[in-house]
Amino acid sequence: MSVPVHGPVRENRAVTATWLDGLPAADTDWDRFAASWPVPFGALADVVVAAWDETDPVLLELCRLRMATLLGYAADQARRTERARAAGLDEVKVAELPSWPTSARFEARERACLALAEQFVIDANGVTDEQVADVTAHLGPQGCYAFVQALSVVETFQRACLTLGIQSVPDVDLIARPSPDESQEVPR
Amino acid sequence: MTPRIPLPSEELNALGLPDTSTLAPALAAARDQLRRAAFRMRSVDAVTTELVRIRNARHQTCFF
Repeated sequence: MSVPVHGPVRENRAVTATWLDGLPAADTDWDRFAASWPVPFGALADVVVAAWDETDPVLLELCRLRMATLLGYAADQARRTERARAAGLDEVKVAELPSWPTSARFEARERACLALAEQFVIDANGVTDEQVADVTAHLGPQGCYAFVQALSVVETFQRACLTLGIQSVPDVDLIARPSPDESQEVPR
Repeated sequence: MTPRIPLPSEELNALGLPDTSTLAPALAAARDQLRRAAFRMRSVDAVTTELVRIRNARHQTCFF
Protein backbone atom coordinates (compact mmCIF):
# COMPACT_ATOMS: atom_id res chain seq x y z
CA MET A 1 0.00 0.00 0.00
CA SER A 2 1.38 3.41 -0.89
CA VAL A 3 1.58 5.93 1.89
CA PRO A 4 0.82 9.51 0.90
CA VAL A 5 3.49 12.05 1.67
CA HIS A 6 2.41 15.07 3.70
CA GLY A 7 4.50 18.09 4.49
CA PRO A 8 4.30 20.40 7.46
CA VAL A 9 2.04 22.84 5.64
CA ARG A 10 -1.74 23.03 5.72
CA GLU A 11 -3.02 20.17 3.62
CA ASN A 12 -6.76 20.54 3.82
CA ARG A 13 -7.49 23.67 1.88
CA ALA A 14 -10.86 22.99 0.30
CA VAL A 15 -13.25 25.74 1.32
CA THR A 16 -16.80 24.52 1.06
CA ALA A 17 -18.99 26.23 3.67
CA THR A 18 -21.41 28.18 1.51
CA TRP A 19 -24.59 28.41 3.59
CA LEU A 20 -23.56 31.56 5.41
CA ASP A 21 -23.10 34.76 3.43
CA GLY A 22 -20.34 37.19 4.23
CA LEU A 23 -17.65 34.88 5.55
CA PRO A 24 -14.24 36.30 4.66
CA ALA A 25 -11.90 34.45 2.33
CA ALA A 26 -9.37 32.18 4.04
CA ASP A 27 -7.45 28.95 3.58
CA THR A 28 -10.04 26.73 5.24
CA ASP A 29 -13.67 26.78 6.34
CA TRP A 30 -12.46 26.88 9.94
CA ASP A 31 -10.37 29.99 9.28
CA ARG A 32 -13.34 31.74 7.66
CA PHE A 33 -15.55 31.15 10.70
CA ALA A 34 -12.72 31.95 13.13
CA ALA A 35 -12.11 35.27 11.38
CA SER A 36 -15.77 36.17 11.88
CA TRP A 37 -16.09 34.95 15.50
CA PRO A 38 -12.54 34.95 16.87
CA VAL A 39 -13.42 34.57 20.55
CA PRO A 40 -15.52 31.38 20.56
CA PHE A 41 -13.52 29.80 17.75
CA GLY A 42 -10.29 30.85 19.43
CA ALA A 43 -11.46 29.34 22.71
CA LEU A 44 -12.41 26.10 20.96
CA ALA A 45 -9.02 26.08 19.20
CA ASP A 46 -7.28 26.47 22.55
CA VAL A 47 -9.24 23.51 23.94
CA VAL A 48 -8.35 21.37 20.93
CA VAL A 49 -4.65 22.17 21.32
CA ALA A 50 -4.80 21.45 25.08
CA ALA A 51 -6.49 18.11 24.40
CA TRP A 52 -3.69 17.07 22.04
CA ASP A 53 -1.07 18.35 24.48
CA GLU A 54 -2.46 16.13 27.28
CA THR A 55 -2.92 12.94 25.27
CA ASP A 56 -0.89 10.35 23.37
CA PRO A 57 -1.24 11.60 19.76
CA VAL A 58 -1.55 8.15 18.20
CA LEU A 59 -4.27 7.09 20.63
CA LEU A 60 -6.19 10.31 20.12
CA GLU A 61 -5.79 10.20 16.34
CA LEU A 62 -7.11 6.65 16.16
CA CYS A 63 -10.09 7.66 18.28
CA ARG A 64 -10.63 10.89 16.33
CA LEU A 65 -10.76 8.97 13.06
CA ARG A 66 -13.11 6.36 14.53
CA MET A 67 -15.38 9.05 15.96
CA ALA A 68 -15.45 10.80 12.57
CA THR A 69 -16.58 7.52 11.02
CA LEU A 70 -19.37 7.05 13.56
CA LEU A 71 -20.53 10.65 13.13
CA GLY A 72 -20.38 10.46 9.34
CA TYR A 73 -17.82 13.26 9.12
CA ALA A 74 -16.01 12.18 5.96
CA ALA A 75 -13.80 15.26 5.74
CA ASP A 76 -12.36 14.62 9.18
CA GLN A 77 -11.84 10.96 8.30
CA ALA A 78 -9.71 12.06 5.35
CA ARG A 79 -7.63 14.46 7.41
CA ARG A 80 -4.49 13.40 9.29
CA THR A 81 -2.91 14.95 12.36
CA GLU A 82 0.81 15.58 11.94
CA ARG A 83 1.54 14.89 15.61
CA ALA A 84 0.23 11.33 15.23
CA ARG A 85 2.12 10.78 11.99
CA ALA A 86 5.31 12.03 13.63
CA ALA A 87 4.68 9.65 16.53
CA GLY A 88 4.56 6.69 14.14
CA LEU A 89 0.96 6.20 13.05
CA ASP A 90 0.93 5.02 9.45
CA GLU A 91 -1.75 4.60 6.79
CA VAL A 92 -1.61 0.82 6.95
CA LYS A 93 -2.85 0.89 10.52
CA VAL A 94 -5.40 3.60 9.75
CA ALA A 95 -6.77 1.43 6.95
CA GLU A 96 -7.36 -1.37 9.48
CA LEU A 97 -9.14 0.88 11.95
CA PRO A 98 -12.61 -0.54 11.16
CA SER A 99 -11.21 -3.94 12.23
CA TRP A 100 -9.68 -2.73 15.51
CA PRO A 101 -11.43 -5.34 17.72
CA THR A 102 -9.77 -8.22 15.84
CA SER A 103 -6.81 -6.80 13.92
CA ALA A 104 -3.39 -7.85 15.25
CA ARG A 105 -2.10 -4.36 14.51
CA PHE A 106 -3.93 -2.97 17.54
CA GLU A 107 -2.58 -3.33 21.06
CA ALA A 108 -4.75 -3.97 24.12
CA ARG A 109 -4.20 -0.35 25.17
CA GLU A 110 -5.51 0.93 21.85
CA ARG A 111 -8.47 -1.44 21.92
CA ALA A 112 -9.42 -0.26 25.40
CA CYS A 113 -9.34 3.37 24.29
CA LEU A 114 -11.21 2.73 21.05
CA ALA A 115 -13.94 0.80 22.86
CA LEU A 116 -14.45 3.68 25.27
CA ALA A 117 -14.34 6.24 22.46
CA GLU A 118 -16.99 4.41 20.45
CA GLN A 119 -19.33 4.09 23.39
CA PHE A 120 -18.71 7.71 24.35
CA VAL A 121 -19.93 8.87 20.93
CA ILE A 122 -22.84 6.45 20.67
CA ASP A 123 -24.15 7.06 24.21
CA ALA A 124 -21.97 8.36 27.04
CA ASN A 125 -24.47 6.98 29.57
CA GLY A 126 -23.67 3.53 28.24
CA VAL A 127 -19.97 3.72 29.16
CA THR A 128 -19.40 0.90 31.65
CA ASP A 129 -17.27 0.65 34.78
CA GLU A 130 -15.29 -2.06 33.00
CA GLN A 131 -14.49 0.18 30.02
CA VAL A 132 -13.20 2.94 32.30
CA ALA A 133 -11.26 0.44 34.41
CA ASP A 134 -9.69 -1.02 31.27
CA VAL A 135 -8.47 2.39 30.09
CA THR A 136 -7.30 3.27 33.60
CA ALA A 137 -5.31 0.03 33.75
CA HIS A 138 -3.38 1.14 30.68
CA LEU A 139 -3.16 4.92 31.13
CA GLY A 140 -3.43 5.37 34.89
CA PRO A 141 -6.05 7.56 36.59
CA GLN A 142 -4.59 10.85 35.37
CA GLY A 143 -4.14 9.53 31.84
CA CYS A 144 -7.67 8.16 31.78
CA TYR A 145 -9.08 11.47 32.96
CA ALA A 146 -7.15 13.42 30.31
CA PHE A 147 -8.11 10.90 27.64
CA VAL A 148 -11.83 11.19 28.42
CA GLN A 149 -11.57 14.98 28.45
CA ALA A 150 -9.83 14.82 25.07
CA LEU A 151 -12.55 12.55 23.68
CA SER A 152 -15.12 15.11 24.78
CA VAL A 153 -13.17 17.87 23.04
CA VAL A 154 -12.86 15.91 19.80
CA GLU A 155 -16.55 15.06 19.84
CA THR A 156 -17.52 18.68 20.50
CA PHE A 157 -15.22 19.83 17.71
CA GLN A 158 -16.53 17.32 15.19
CA ARG A 159 -20.18 17.89 16.01
CA ALA A 160 -19.72 21.68 15.84
CA CYS A 161 -17.96 21.44 12.48
CA LEU A 162 -20.58 19.08 11.11
CA THR A 163 -23.38 21.35 12.25
CA LEU A 164 -21.76 24.46 10.78
CA GLY A 165 -20.75 22.78 7.51
CA ILE A 166 -17.04 23.16 8.22
CA GLN A 167 -15.40 20.66 5.92
CA SER A 168 -11.82 21.89 6.04
CA VAL A 169 -9.84 22.67 9.17
CA PRO A 170 -6.14 23.31 9.84
CA ASP A 171 -4.01 20.76 11.64
CA VAL A 172 -3.85 21.14 15.42
CA ASP A 173 -0.53 22.99 15.36
CA LEU A 174 -1.74 25.41 12.69
CA ILE A 175 -5.18 26.16 13.99
CA ALA A 176 -6.03 29.85 14.37
CA ARG A 177 -5.57 31.20 17.89
CA PRO A 178 -6.51 34.89 17.71
CA SER A 179 -4.94 37.44 19.96
CA PRO A 180 -6.96 38.86 22.88
CA ASP A 181 -7.33 42.18 21.09
CA GLU A 182 -8.86 40.73 17.96
CA SER A 183 -12.49 40.82 19.04
CA GLN A 184 -14.76 43.44 20.52
CA GLU A 185 -17.31 40.83 21.57
CA VAL A 186 -15.77 39.19 24.63
CA PRO A 187 -12.40 39.90 26.21
CA ARG A 188 -10.27 36.74 26.38
CA MET B 1 -22.15 9.05 42.24
CA THR B 2 -18.90 7.21 42.90
CA PRO B 3 -15.92 8.32 40.80
CA ARG B 4 -14.76 5.62 38.41
CA ILE B 5 -11.11 6.56 38.71
CA PRO B 6 -9.05 7.08 41.88
CA LEU B 7 -8.86 10.80 42.57
CA PRO B 8 -5.93 12.65 44.14
CA SER B 9 -8.12 13.94 46.97
CA GLU B 10 -11.62 13.63 48.41
CA GLU B 11 -12.18 17.39 48.23
CA LEU B 12 -15.35 18.65 46.58
CA ASN B 13 -15.48 21.81 44.49
CA ALA B 14 -18.07 24.60 44.71
CA LEU B 15 -20.56 22.50 42.74
CA GLY B 16 -20.19 19.59 45.15
CA LEU B 17 -18.27 17.61 42.54
CA PRO B 18 -14.98 15.80 43.09
CA ASP B 19 -12.02 18.11 42.68
CA THR B 20 -10.26 17.06 39.48
CA SER B 21 -8.38 20.33 39.02
CA THR B 22 -4.94 18.72 39.31
CA LEU B 23 -5.56 15.92 36.79
CA ALA B 24 -5.37 17.90 33.52
CA PRO B 25 -5.04 21.54 34.59
CA ALA B 26 -4.21 23.07 31.20
CA LEU B 27 -7.10 21.32 29.53
CA ALA B 28 -9.46 22.25 32.36
CA ALA B 29 -8.44 25.90 32.07
CA ALA B 30 -8.99 25.90 28.31
CA ARG B 31 -12.42 24.27 28.71
CA ASP B 32 -13.35 26.86 31.31
CA GLN B 33 -12.41 29.62 28.87
CA LEU B 34 -14.55 28.00 26.17
CA ARG B 35 -17.50 27.75 28.55
CA ARG B 36 -17.12 31.41 29.48
CA ALA B 37 -16.87 32.44 25.83
CA ALA B 38 -20.01 30.49 24.96
CA PHE B 39 -22.02 31.99 27.80
CA ARG B 40 -20.86 35.51 27.00
CA MET B 41 -21.62 35.51 23.27
CA ARG B 42 -23.99 38.38 22.65
CA SER B 43 -25.38 36.94 19.43
CA VAL B 44 -27.29 34.26 21.39
CA ASP B 45 -29.64 35.53 24.08
CA ALA B 46 -29.29 34.34 27.66
CA VAL B 47 -32.68 32.60 27.81
CA THR B 48 -32.00 30.52 24.71
CA THR B 49 -28.54 29.63 26.00
CA GLU B 50 -29.98 28.48 29.34
CA LEU B 51 -32.80 26.49 27.75
CA VAL B 52 -30.34 24.68 25.49
CA ARG B 53 -28.03 24.00 28.44
CA ILE B 54 -30.83 22.52 30.55
CA ARG B 55 -32.26 20.52 27.67
CA ASN B 56 -28.83 19.08 26.88
CA ALA B 57 -28.16 18.29 30.55
CA ARG B 58 -31.38 16.27 30.70
CA HIS B 59 -30.55 14.51 27.45
CA GLN B 60 -27.15 13.58 28.88
CA THR B 61 -28.60 12.58 32.27
CA CYS B 62 -26.41 15.23 33.87
CA PHE B 63 -28.01 16.28 37.15
CA PHE B 64 -25.81 19.13 38.32
